[in-house]
Amino acid sequence: MFFLRKYKTAIFIVTLLIMALIMFSYNLKYGADGSFFKKIVLEAVAPVQKVLSASVTGIKDAWLRYVLLVGIKEENKNLKNKINEFKSTLILYQEGYLEAQRLRKLLSLTDDYDYHFISARVIGREQAALSKTILINKGAVHGLKTGMPVIAPPGLIGRLIDVSWHASKVLLFIDENSNVGAIVQRTRTQGIISGAGPRGLILKYISKTQDVKEGDVIVSSGMGGVFPKGLLIGQVSHVDRQDDGLFLKINVAPFVDFSKLEEILILVSEENKIK
Amino acid sequence: MLYYLVLPFLSILLVILQSTITDIIFSGRLVFELSLIVVIYAGFRLDLIRGSILAFVLGFVFDCVSGSVLGLFTFIYVVIFLCSFFASGRLATEKIYIIALFSFFCAFLKELMVILFYYLAFKFDVLVNMYFVFLPQVLIVSLFAPVFFYLMRRVEVSFYGKAV
Repeated sequence: MFFLRKYKTAIFIVTLLIMALIMFSYNLKYGADGSFFKKIVLEAVAPVQKVLSASVTGIKDAWLRYVLLVGIKEENKNLKNKINEFKSTLILYQEGYLEAQRLRKLLSLTDDYDYHFISARVIGREQAALSKTILINKGAVHGLKTGMPVIAPPGLIGRLIDVSWHASKVLLFIDENSNVGAIVQRTRTQGIISGAGPRGLILKYISKTQDVKEGDVIVSSGMGGVFPKGLLIGQVSHVDRQDDGLFLKINVAPFVDFSKLEEILILVSEENKIK
Repeated sequence: MLYYLVLPFLSILLVILQSTITDIIFSGRLVFELSLIVVIYAGFRLDLIRGSILAFVLGFVFDCVSGSVLGLFTFIYVVIFLCSFFASGRLATEKIYIIALFSFFCAFLKELMVILFYYLAFKFDVLVNMYFVFLPQVLIVSLFAPVFFYLMRRVEVSFYGKAV
């Protein structure tokens, strides 16, 4: 009893450290999907973050609108020219699309998956040293589940890792913990896309004998069943044919600017919806 | 008692404020770790029990909100608090350069623990981030810590009539 009273502060500190270590080891081994305390904290964070983000965005938008007025006439003229160019390109693509549809019908091809979208608003960006996640304003009550793929046109951006009742956390592709099966669209070479934080993405496990060039488009491979096949991920920005090692070192620039995400779409498979 | 009741809410507010400032100023490229400065400040100003609980709660909230492994920052923040607490008795904690240097040391220690953890647990070679992410973050913490300490001293004076 005397010992406990004399060293109660030290015992308390050691207990705190041990609790942190146990929590840390447990989550490292088993993961923390759906942890009750985490859900509670996310539920508390979401409304405050929403209010703060809305005010910041309001001020930012007002300022940007003012700045954008400078030189808007010239920009408007350029954009009109661009729209005309895009219109002619679009007509070409429409032709191609219709042709593909006819051919698909002929071959009786159907999609292996059936998805619909749930839109959500980004209410916060959380950055730890090596971790890149965003917080969105939809959760389990809206039909979201852990693992669902998330896109922001034109491409995939990540997947849900924590889903509380009214808010969810999205692990972005640029997070160092993120790995996704991918294909080089031109050559159909398969690899793994890993997050590289501020450096964007890295395409791994592509043999040196494979043909990969700067500008090649990378799409999801559909392997693993989490992400549908053929969704845009990024574009090859640099290929390093280093002397040592078996594989190419390929840097990929994502199609989406992760720092400017505002609205996102969550892909929900019909299978998940029925459940 | 009020302190322990208010602490979780203030921690959540602080972490949200931190992530919003980070988002506005650095567009997500760097993290402005205000929470780490608060932990160092707690080490200099609070007693062992109240300070360690603050570090634990703040670390836990940061873990929940950020995408890191739950428990990593909880553990790191308690360690940083203990370092600050034991150093506070041996350092002239009111001098600006001491605050800046000690904050630099603590921030560096934190980044080192994170690097080591990611290397040992996931075999990630995150040393490439050293010059562009970790070092700037450490510098930001050490530069802003004296400003934060000064502002907190002003708050203490306005509340109690003198620095605590």
